[in-house]
Amino acid sequence: MGLAGNAAIVGAAQYKPEKYQTAPQMFHLEQVADLAHKALLDAGLHKDDLDGLVINGPQFHEASVFVPAMAAEYLGIEVNFAEVVDLGGCTAVAQVWRAAAAIEMGLCQAVLCVIPARMAPLAPDEDPAWMAQAMRYGGHSTAFGAPEAEFDLPYGHMGQNTGYAMIAQRYAAQYGYDQAAMAKIAVDQRFNAQYHKDAIFRGKELTIEEVLASRMVADPLHVLEIVMPVAGGAAVIVASKELAARAKKRPAFVTGFGERLSFKSPTYANEMTVTPVAEAAKRAFAMAGLTPQDINAAQIYDCYTITVLLSLEDAGFVPKGEGQRFIKEHNLTWKGDFPLNTHGGQLSFGQAASAGGFSQVIEAFDQISNSAEGRQLEGCDNVFVSGTGGVMSEQGALILQGG
Amino acid sequence: MATLKPMPAATKISAPFWQALKENKLKIQQCNSCDGWIFFPRNHCSHCLAHDLDWKQVNGDGILYSYTLARIPTMPEFSDEMPQALAVVELAQGVRINTTLIDVAEEDIKIGMAVKPVFDKVTSDGETLLRFTAVNNAGGVSDYVDPLEGLERNESGQVQVPVSNLAALYALADNKFTGWSNTVVVDQELINAFAELSGDDYWLHTDPERAKVESPFKTTIAHGSLVQVLQSRLTIGLPFEITGFKTMVNYGSNRLRFPAPVPASSTIHGRSKVKDISMSHKGVQLTLEMNIHVLGNDKPSVINDLVILYR
Ligand SMILES: [Zn+2]
Repeated sequence: MGLAGNAAIVGAAQYKPEKYQTAPQMFHLEQVADLAHKALLDAGLHKDDLDGLVINGPQFHEASVFVPAMAAEYLGIEVNFAEVVDLGGCTAVAQVWRAAAAIEMGLCQAVLCVIPARMAPLAPDEDPAWMAQAMRYGGHSTAFGAPEAEFDLPYGHMGQNTGYAMIAQRYAAQYGYDQAAMAKIAVDQRFNAQYHKDAIFRGKELTIEEVLASRMVADPLHVLEIVMPVAGGAAVIVASKELAARAKKRPAFVTGFGERLSFKSPTYANEMTVTPVAEAAKRAFAMAGLTPQDINAAQIYDCYTITVLLSLEDAGFVPKGEGQRFIKEHNLTWKGDFPLNTHGGQLSFGQAASAGGFSQVIEAFDQISNSAEGRQLEGCDNVFVSGTGGVMSEQGALILQGG
Repeated sequence: MATLKPMPAATKISAPFWQALKENKLKIQQCNSCDGWIFFPRNHCSHCLAHDLDWKQVNGDGILYSYTLARIPTMPEFSDEMPQALAVVELAQGVRINTTLIDVAEEDIKIGMAVKPVFDKVTSDGETLLRFTAVNNAGGVSDYVDPLEGLERNESGQVQVPVSNLAALYALADNKFTGWSNTVVVDQELINAFAELSGDDYWLHTDPERAKVESPFKTTIAHGSLVQVLQSRLTIGLPFEITGFKTMVNYGSNRLRFPAPVPASSTIHGRSKVKDISMSHKGVQLTLEMNIHVLGNDKPSVINDLVILYR
């Protein structure tokens, strides 16, 4: 069951993460075309090779329905496979496996996976205040009849921070909590960011003391353990083995994937400290015929430090409850014995909305294709990638392998 | 009176839950098909999807499943609860509920601790939220507290509302008018002076002889904008004074209407009410509806929704 490994990431493009205030404003359709152009150049393929499209539906600026048709028309392509993915931070990972599956089914040969995440220009009479208003509730629905609107918002339960904080607090009660170990995740990733020319926190090194001295947002999460939103956007081209043979770079074959949605609010999880990536990773490893010990680099979705800890444990890199010890005992930098988020992770690279998940996918591709300038791992063949949406609600796993 | 915080909008499905809370009872659903307990309210069992659920009263005993202390408000409106103990409680029936923990010291909060419900009356008309507290606390019902109660008053008797006290600010928006101001007579001399100043010397305002014949009011009338600015001559006794702000900005008007004319020689007076309080990144925005009437006329001559920004 699953993929045979006959589809690969062959090209990628990613905007440099920038602050919203200073980033260029572009229509989302324009970003889709721009990112597609750059990713095709990276792959050495042509627009006419594309016959599949996977795009983000929510937050697409120019349309809320018929998004793939509008984007395909703008790109000037016809496709045999069009898909919208609505999985928050898990969207990038989910786009890649859907593309690979469509290719292996023979539906298409080259799929553009894309998420624009720069702001679109404001209409002449548009009040930018609506955006602040819309962002107020984070991922919480305020619609009449939405359980969150009725049973969460009146108590102040909203946004992501406090949900992740409650997961961390329960983990602390069950397994103990070592603040310094958690801070080390952010610190080791920050080290990596010093070697990525586009990382938003390049040039700003970080110590464990600085993380622990930073403002407490919701116990036990400090502000430096929480991702910073930036403007950006990314795309990858997933292509068949035949097309991949024509690509400029060493392809990253998609040999395993898994996806799991367990809840919207962790309150209603069977157990809030057992995360959906457990099932997703198990399936991905089994599909690829690999174990966590075979992995050369782990690109783990990192909206918060707690996300990394739980993902490392639940994906099988370390037994449950031993993650913090593992983190302290290992050097997690690209120079270390357990390379983790070698681009800096989103914590230090920047989180461009749901395109942030692409930073992990693209770093995996960069490492496998020997394009990780300045931070290149030696002999990087097998990379694990995870994606996380909502409040640990939905997670995906990819195994990417050099051919 | 409403509250600044988002309030639950009960649906047909959930109404029994909120109604029970109003009556200081906790009711959750149980499935007649599989005996499973369900929260949040719905029409189909989350265990077996049977459409056969009954409301059952439970005593609300539970344990603290997890919590966090929000040190930065999740929304500005919750800044009066800082740090807010956002919590998940697991009831004895196994269902979990998002709530807040109240009246427990930070150092005494322990995951797994036994908790019991508090029926918190959050509005003067009895709307109730379900909070929890430690079992050795009193629990039960937490009565509604008027956020204006206990605030200081100045010499003129105005309640002193610090701009940081959002609950009290919002309580000001009770849609009740003040008493009437002093009166001012709008005579032809005043109208003529305004005509000269503004350049608006249309005969309807300035020519009593012609107006007697041609005006539908059989007399001259004051300029709407004159009556509007005469607001400054009317002393309206606001029952409150906002304090502790850095700057106060007159942001203009959201609505300006002149529904009824003010014939020359009328006596006018005014009153106002706080129509709305809202929060934005710009600060606290207070909308004060000013009404100016001709004495004895129910229909206002000026309605002006003044927007004042405090920060
Ligand atoms: Zn049932």
